[in-house]
Amino acid sequence: MHILATEGLTKQFTTVTAIDRLTVTVGPGITGLVGANGAGKSTLIKILLGLLPPSGGGARVLDLDVTTKGAEIRKLVGYMPEHECLPPDVSATELVVHLARMSGLPRTAARERAADVLRHVGLAEERYRPVGGYSTGMKQRVKLAQALVHDPKLIFLDEPTNGLDPRGRDEMLTLIRRIGTEFGISVLVTSHLLGELERICDHVIVIDGGRLLRSSAIGEFTQTTETVAVEVDEGLDELAARLSGDGQTVSRQGRLLVVEVRGPETYDAIRDATADLDLALIRLEQGRHRIEDVFREEAAHV
Amino acid sequence: MSEIYDIGYRHYDGPRLGRGYSTRALAVHSLRGVFGLGRPARSKIVPFALATIMLVPAVVSIAIMALARQPGIPYSGFAVIMQAVIAIFLAAQAPTVVAPDLRYRVLPLYLSRPVSIAEYVGAKVTAMTVAVFALVATPLTVMYVGELVVDLPGPPATGEYLGSMVTALLLALLLSAFGLALASFTPRRGLGVASVITVYLLASASVPIIYASMAVTGNEEAAAWAWLMNPFWLVDSVQSWLFGTPPHSIEGGYPSGPASAAILVVLIGAAVAALALRYRKAAAQ
Repeated sequence: MHILATEGLTKQFTTVTAIDRLTVTVGPGITGLVGANGAGKSTLIKILLGLLPPSGGGARVLDLDVTTKGAEIRKLVGYMPEHECLPPDVSATELVVHLARMSGLPRTAARERAADVLRHVGLAEERYRPVGGYSTGMKQRVKLAQALVHDPKLIFLDEPTNGLDPRGRDEMLTLIRRIGTEFGISVLVTSHLLGELERICDHVIVIDGGRLLRSSAIGEFTQTTETVAVEVDEGLDELAARLSGDGQTVSRQGRLLVVEVRGPETYDAIRDATADLDLALIRLEQGRHRIEDVFREEAAHV
Repeated sequence: MSEIYDIGYRHYDGPRLGRGYSTRALAVHSLRGVFGLGRPARSKIVPFALATIMLVPAVVSIAIMALARQPGIPYSGFAVIMQAVIAIFLAAQAPTVVAPDLRYRVLPLYLSRPVSIAEYVGAKVTAMTVAVFALVATPLTVMYVGELVVDLPGPPATGEYLGSMVTALLLALLLSAFGLALASFTPRRGLGVASVITVYLLASASVPIIYASMAVTGNEEAAAWAWLMNPFWLVDSVQSWLFGTPPHSIEGGYPSGPASAAILVVLIGAAVAALALRYRKAAAQ
């Protein structure tokens, strides 16, 4: 079952091609859409909402065609824009209730749902105060709440962690993970920070310059190679030489040695080498092959 | 600060109403906004103060009818007499209807829902039209009820009252379409207020200038058209054609007939088209 699918999707603006023959399918669960700024992420979301007509190709969301069934799609999906979009003089409750009614919820249902989702996103008493006085983190929560209030089947989150501090970022990511699992709502979340998507997504799509670089399950990104990072107080060069001599694949990254894990014997070799050279071992950390590296490699080939 | 309470997520499987419902809800929401209902008390001061001022002539008119036993302010001339107050109301309140959604970029939150741009603009124009109509029609109705109660000699001016109500609706539509179009091009609220009032003042001030310059060149007949530069006199001239009421211009008469009605229709069409263009552009962002 596909949540959404594009087929040769192209969007040509007067001077730039924002989306270039993009063919991709997305299943249920949480999907990350990764790309640098200007890669075409926001344009893609606007097309999927039926707000921008594609110049070529086609796309279906929840099995509805974006060019002809836009209004029906927008009934079933939620959208959290990247930019600020909250009027400052109304309270979060008022705004979310109003937007729930815009999605077709009757007045009482709109009130109940608004109270529910505002609690879920973690806004308590402050939801009765005007939005103008909120912190960035609280505003992001209100933006998320309005996207959820009509209980959509799928939500598009455009850069939801933008402008948040590390703690706010963690809370937002946890919340998104819950939406995808506990709430049972499929999520398409964009970010230019690849590391954070790695933590919450089931599937990642990488686009660059409007073109598809890669689309695969998160496991395929991270399980290609396993490495271990070694940090020692001093004598990094001697250790590197010794390990290479032992037949290990070693590369140096700043003050760390990254050793490719062949099997349990790699850990033994590192232990023996540091002990024999009498080095102070500070850190031995399992380093997964990160999405970022994949992205860098793929981008290099294009 | 904030805690995430773990009470479990509940799905919604109640009714989802259509776009007609959403559009109506938006119109009512905007109309409440015009009068500052559901907003802080300071948002209510201007609209309600102006609405009260509009009622003063109605009360005076009833007093004249009751004490002097003679007709008060004619219904057909009420809007023209009170035009400054109506213009201030339009200038002060039209920006509250359209400016915040544009300035704070709330529009995408609407557009990501089933409502279309046309329905959004329609709801906004309807809300402002109803507000301006209520502002004019309430004192008219108060005066009419007063006339019935006072019971002047001769039949009550029911025809003129009903005609003035229709005219008030036309005036409200023209003013709202123009006021909202101007306000939507100047999303900062203060600028919106200033632009609406400036256009009204320019339109009013240009009347004597154009009139005089044309009259001096001996073009008396064409000069009379200058009156229609002012939206209130334009609508008055349409009223005079539709219901045979006397013109309420300052001096002399002015043209009246299908031509002024055509101008009215064209102007309303132009304002609505400008609004549509403005929002098509805003939607594309």
